[in-house]
Amino acid sequence: MEGMPDIDDQDLATLWFLSARAMAIAGEDMPAVQEAATGLYAQAIIGLTEEECRIAKDAEHIANKTLIDCLSGVRRLPRELAEKILTGVMMISYSDRSMKPLEVRWASMLASAIEVTADDFQRCCVNARIIASMLRPSEHAQ
Amino acid sequence: MSKQETNFEFLRRFDKRVAELARQAEEYVHTDPDSCMFKLRLMVETMAKKLTSLQMRGDISKDLGAMLGALERSGVVPRRQADGMHAIRRDGNAAVHGSPTPVPTAMRRLQEAYRISGWFCKRLKKGAKVQLDSFIPPDPPVPIDKETEALHGKIDALEESIEQRRLETRESLLMFGPQENVKEVTRRIIEELKALDNVAAAAGEPMIDADFVALVMAMDLEQIEEDPRHGGDSRQARREAEQQLEGIKSHLAEREAAFMAERTFLLEQRNDT
Repeated sequence: MEGMPDIDDQDLATLWFLSARAMAIAGEDMPAVQEAATGLYAQAIIGLTEEECRIAKDAEHIANKTLIDCLSGVRRLPRELAEKILTGVMMISYSDRSMKPLEVRWASMLASAIEVTADDFQRCCVNARIIASMLRPSEHAQ
Repeated sequence: MSKQETNFEFLRRFDKRVAELARQAEEYVHTDPDSCMFKLRLMVETMAKKLTSLQMRGDISKDLGAMLGALERSGVVPRRQADGMHAIRRDGNAAVHGSPTPVPTAMRRLQEAYRISGWFCKRLKKGAKVQLDSFIPPDPPVPIDKETEALHGKIDALEESIEQRRLETRESLLMFGPQENVKEVTRRIIEELKALDNVAAAAGEPMIDADFVALVMAMDLEQIEEDPRHGGDSRQARREAEQQLEGIKSHLAEREAAFMAERTFLLEQRNDT
């Protein structure tokens, strides 16, 4: 990706899936809507390809990565991309319409790693809320 | 396979209705593939209804797609079986709506139904021994000519590539890869999150702290709940958001208290020595 030191699109895909699953797991139960939204967001908003999304979940890419690796990777991303990841992660959190302590902690960790300001964080959250409210409520109900 | 024989004989012991539908589908696969698909779709619907009535609670949609979705989400139907059932539902619907079904497509779905049936029996009777032999494709009533055979080969190859494509798309969308042990990954991530929670409780976040995050999230959740699709009652939405915020605040306070207690204990120990 242009202007991005050290991190290629494949790394970006791995960072996204790691951040997203950490948030989904922090939310305790994982509705199907979160599963589908993860891949859709990666392709439609972050701009990853279908193949990058598949390869990102191969053991060689993701199995040995910790959440600390994830935080340090996100920190190295260009600001715009990092904010897209934060927005997507917040969308996943909002999609089940509840918050859990570990979700709050993961959001706070990510936001701090990216070094967003309070205003930027709120802006990302508003975008996340708008996307999350577009996800079908019936998916959650079932 | 002779006319009287069926791949689905084993099903009779478990569910006569499903077995009969399967036998009929098998009978029609060459002569009337559309009818074969109707029967297979009905067979899947019957299976889904039975599983729903036996293993699900609450108001489940009568729509087959939604029913299969609910069964998959609740873990009653594993991903592989659900994919096969959805494929039968899709092709069955297409046949109902006038899209002609080629023989190789019907045969592929019939074979899929055979595999699903084996799983279904085991699901109905835990511990039941179901030994599935290899599926034997029913013979056509009259031998097919070389031209038709070549055409069937091409259709089958096309079906295969579509299925492969569909699988790749699905794998790209999901949160976990097909080879990943979701339980193990979940356990590891929870451990890491808890460790981060402990560290943060002790050291604090440098910029965006958890209290602020919780407040922003509570305000957003309130707005989401206010959406008419989620209820639309503003007071109720506010109550729920406040309740959630209180829950987070008490967790953060507990973490803080635990940290302070630990620090006091360590200081006391140091003073003692």
